[in-house]
Amino acid sequence: MLRLPILTVIMVLLASFLFFRKGRQALTTPAGKGCVVPKDWLVSNPHPVTPTEHIRPADQTFLTYPEWFLVHSPAEIADYAHERTTTTFPYMSHVKQLWQSYGVVYDQIKGSFAFNTGYHIMIWVIGVSTTVEYALKALYETVVGRLTNPTNGAVVTDEDKFNAQFSQDYVDFIRVLPWYEFDFKARIPQLLKGTSFFGPHFIRKFERKYMLLTELLVKSGYGYLIKIGTKASYDEALLTTAVVINRLPAVPDTLTPIKTYPDGSALLLLPRYEAFHPAVSALVKQGVTFREIAGNNSAILLTVLAPETWQPVSQNLQLVFTQPIVTKPGLKRVALVTTVGSLDKTIRYAQEQNVKIEHVYDY
Amino acid sequence: MRLKDKLPLSYLLFTTRGRIHRSTYWLVSAFIWSTFYVLHTILYDFVSEGSTYILYPLLIGSLVATANKRLHDTNHSGYWLLAILIPVLGPLWLIYQLGFRRGDKHQNLFGTVPNEAADYFKNDNGQPVPHSAPERIINDVTQLNPVVVADVFRPKSVDELQERLRNTTGPVSVGGGRFSMGGQTASSGSLHIDMRGLNQVIQFSKEDRRITVQAGIRWCDIQRFVDAHDLSVKIMQTYANFTVGGSLSVNCHGRYMGHGPLILSVRSIELVLADGSLVQASRTENSDVFFGTIGGYNGLGIIVSAELDLEDNLAVRREYHNLPRSDYRTYFADTIRDNPEAVFHNGDMYPPTYTNMRAVTWVKTTEKPTVKTRLMPLRESYPLERYFMWAFTETAAGKWRREHIVDPLLYLAKPIHWRNYEAGYDVAELEPRSRTKRTYVLQEYFVPVRHFDTFSAKMSEIFNRYQVNVINVSVRHALPDSGSYLAWAREEVFAFVVYYKQRTNDVAKNTVAIWTRELIDAALSVGGAYYLPYQAHATSEQFHQAYPNARKLFALKKNLDPDFRFHNVFWDTYYQPFLSTGLTG
Ligand SMILES: Cc1cc2nc3c(=O)[nH]c(=O)nc-3n(C[C@H](O)[C@H](O)[C@H](O)COP(=O)(O)OP(=O)(O)OC[C@H]3O[C@@H](n4cnc5c(N)ncnc54)[C@H](O)[C@@H]3O)c2cc1C
Repeated sequence: MLRLPILTVIMVLLASFLFFRKGRQALTTPAGKGCVVPKDWLVSNPHPVTPTEHIRPADQTFLTYPEWFLVHSPAEIADYAHERTTTTFPYMSHVKQLWQSYGVVYDQIKGSFAFNTGYHIMIWVIGVSTTVEYALKALYETVVGRLTNPTNGAVVTDEDKFNAQFSQDYVDFIRVLPWYEFDFKARIPQLLKGTSFFGPHFIRKFERKYMLLTELLVKSGYGYLIKIGTKASYDEALLTTAVVINRLPAVPDTLTPIKTYPDGSALLLLPRYEAFHPAVSALVKQGVTFREIAGNNSAILLTVLAPETWQPVSQNLQLVFTQPIVTKPGLKRVALVTTVGSLDKTIRYAQEQNVKIEHVYDY
Repeated sequence: MRLKDKLPLSYLLFTTRGRIHRSTYWLVSAFIWSTFYVLHTILYDFVSEGSTYILYPLLIGSLVATANKRLHDTNHSGYWLLAILIPVLGPLWLIYQLGFRRGDKHQNLFGTVPNEAADYFKNDNGQPVPHSAPERIINDVTQLNPVVVADVFRPKSVDELQERLRNTTGPVSVGGGRFSMGGQTASSGSLHIDMRGLNQVIQFSKEDRRITVQAGIRWCDIQRFVDAHDLSVKIMQTYANFTVGGSLSVNCHGRYMGHGPLILSVRSIELVLADGSLVQASRTENSDVFFGTIGGYNGLGIIVSAELDLEDNLAVRREYHNLPRSDYRTYFADTIRDNPEAVFHNGDMYPPTYTNMRAVTWVKTTEKPTVKTRLMPLRESYPLERYFMWAFTETAAGKWRREHIVDPLLYLAKPIHWRNYEAGYDVAELEPRSRTKRTYVLQEYFVPVRHFDTFSAKMSEIFNRYQVNVINVSVRHALPDSGSYLAWAREEVFAFVVYYKQRTNDVAKNTVAIWTRELIDAALSVGGAYYLPYQAHATSEQFHQAYPNARKLFALKKNLDPDFRFHNVFWDTYYQPFLSTGLTG
């Protein structure tokens, strides 16, 4: 029986070739080979005004991208789940986008900053976990889910509706808080009580219940472990981002500065993560410019969602890469780099161009 | 042929029978999934989404089938696959069971250990002759000697056998394992008696180290029985496929030191004569029958039981010594012959020059054996052995590579086996893929120890002159026989066991006959003999010169088997002419 090992090697090679071959659609298009960001943008601030406890490393604006992709991706899934069952969701495309974009952002900072081991490990942990999760889902959905999927992937069973709601709640949650804080366990009784055992599409109902139950059980267990691990290895994350602005806005709002300086500039604490960019946009509207964000005054990354044909043209920014939104034909994500000093102009430019700012990566 | 052999991959993928190892499961899973991915992608991209559904029955079928086999490996029925319905725990348990858990070490409800054969290699029950039942073709292990017999009878009890002999007339032939190689087990038109059904242990005494068995039992069956009592067969061949009856009838020998022909370990036998009567025989009771039956090729009667000596089942360690042939005799006399520690010994002579030898001795040891099992595990196939055998016999420099590369590597190991283990080889390891064009055959010559060098020189000259494709010449030692009429060891001898490859066409068969007779002459010239269970190439004169007491046996046969019922090639060749020319022959 020497035939089996030989055949297996051949099939595995063929399968890898098919998996890695260039698809009809490029899933990540870098703006150029290697580092495309001007080198003088890739420096740490030598004399920050921001107090030390609010300073974060300059390269983290890039390194937070893969982490945020893991918010953008569930968001896309949640949008999809309202329209169609997630059985046909292209999970593997997202896996590829995750690792490809990680490669591109790493290319930008490689050589300019010391290797940020802790951060890379964290990316690998969440990247590998997500890859495993998505691969298992893709496999399961291809082998089993596809066979029970209602015609046209219509969301008709209570279970698929539950899934849509759960996906939405999950994304809304992780925009603000770490995923492992999400209460997966509490969803289990909701799933079991909120859906009938029998009913039309019985097989689909049964199969989805099985699959959702598995997902909830595994994620609550895994989340518990990651929570312990994170607490042990990383400091509690700050929920604010300190910014230094050139002057206080004319119309005083709820934001009271921590400190003001003789030249009129001021130190403010803005909310971090999801709420950061609305706060920044509000300040920009008032004509404010930024001097420091989390202690940094050089490159800062942001992503916008734009029509496929859109091309950014402005001296204040540099295109890094684009990724098609695979479930929304015609739409793409564009990753741009600007400097802290030009952030206001870049935001204004995006608004003029009518493209939606998805996120500003506040280190 | 079974589906398993004909289409091994389909058998693996689409039947739920049998067991597979962890490693096979991983391999076949990689195969199934990668194949599915490739076909799915191709159909999806180039045909249509819908067309991919045709893959599902194949995918699910093969996954279920292979999972079944793997579950069987740990003695679980395939229904345990339903555990998958329990969320999380079910799949986790299955992943552990299928991918990680070690299989049972022994046979279980679902079959033997994967890649291990269920049993020692066996010859068939005779091939039916088309449109001519109950006739059957009886052949031996070489497949060179097909004989059409009138019927095959497989007695289940001694009474049944006696009855059949009493109620019939006409020729009878007897077969045990049918590993003899020259038609000794069949005669055209005879009633063939297959003794393998009479295979029980009748009596056993651990204290006396003695066992009484039915004659159709195989050595391997006895080993399985006595191993539990830390005992071992005293004298047998290296391979354990043979029946006791067949071994008694050729008076076999092994590689044991301090022993010799099998007769030395036999206390008594029981046999059924041509008229169906039952006779006891030992050295003291009916001694002429005893000495005529052991080594007597079923001339006098059918052996139905035998009482045999046993020995302790010791651990033995392999040692070897490379030396020129010219030193072997003194080396053997000085260090092996009277060494109480030596249990097995043989000297391998390397073709094509036969001047270098490897003396291999297994000595008693108290160290822990290096093998996990007490008895030799059986394998389904022996691909490596088969390859080496092919390479030694068919490739240029194959024999050189064996002597200078393969054997030195193989002998780097220092195995320690049990005595039973080392006597438990399966003839299957020698079986080629097919025996239609070429076949492997054995011959054996017995030479008084003092003539070792003379015979060796003559033998190698003959082999080289006829360009015989010899694989191995293994030299063993035997003490003198205790009196059997067809004794091949009338004094202390070296046995030269020759294993060679020959073609099966008539020209090749003729050539073999010619050089065989020359070799026999060489053995006779030094007062030696040749072994009878192989092809009957010897002339009548040669036979009688090698076996001077044959006439005594012939006279006894005439007496006990007056109607010449017990037939086979041996008796047809040497006894028939004797009958027609009268006792003085
Ligand atoms: C690979 C191989 C290795 C071998 N190695 C050795 C070895 O190391 N030493 C050695 O001595 N021999 C060796 N032999 C030869 C072997 O010992 C004989 O061929 C032996 O007869 C095989 O036993 P069997 O049960 O197959 O007998 P069979 O071939 O079936 O029968 C042999 C003879 O015994 C007769 N017979 C069988 N059963 C009975 C019975 N119950 N009563 C009366 N007569 C009976 C048959 O009629 C026949 O004449 C080897 C043979 C092979 C194929």
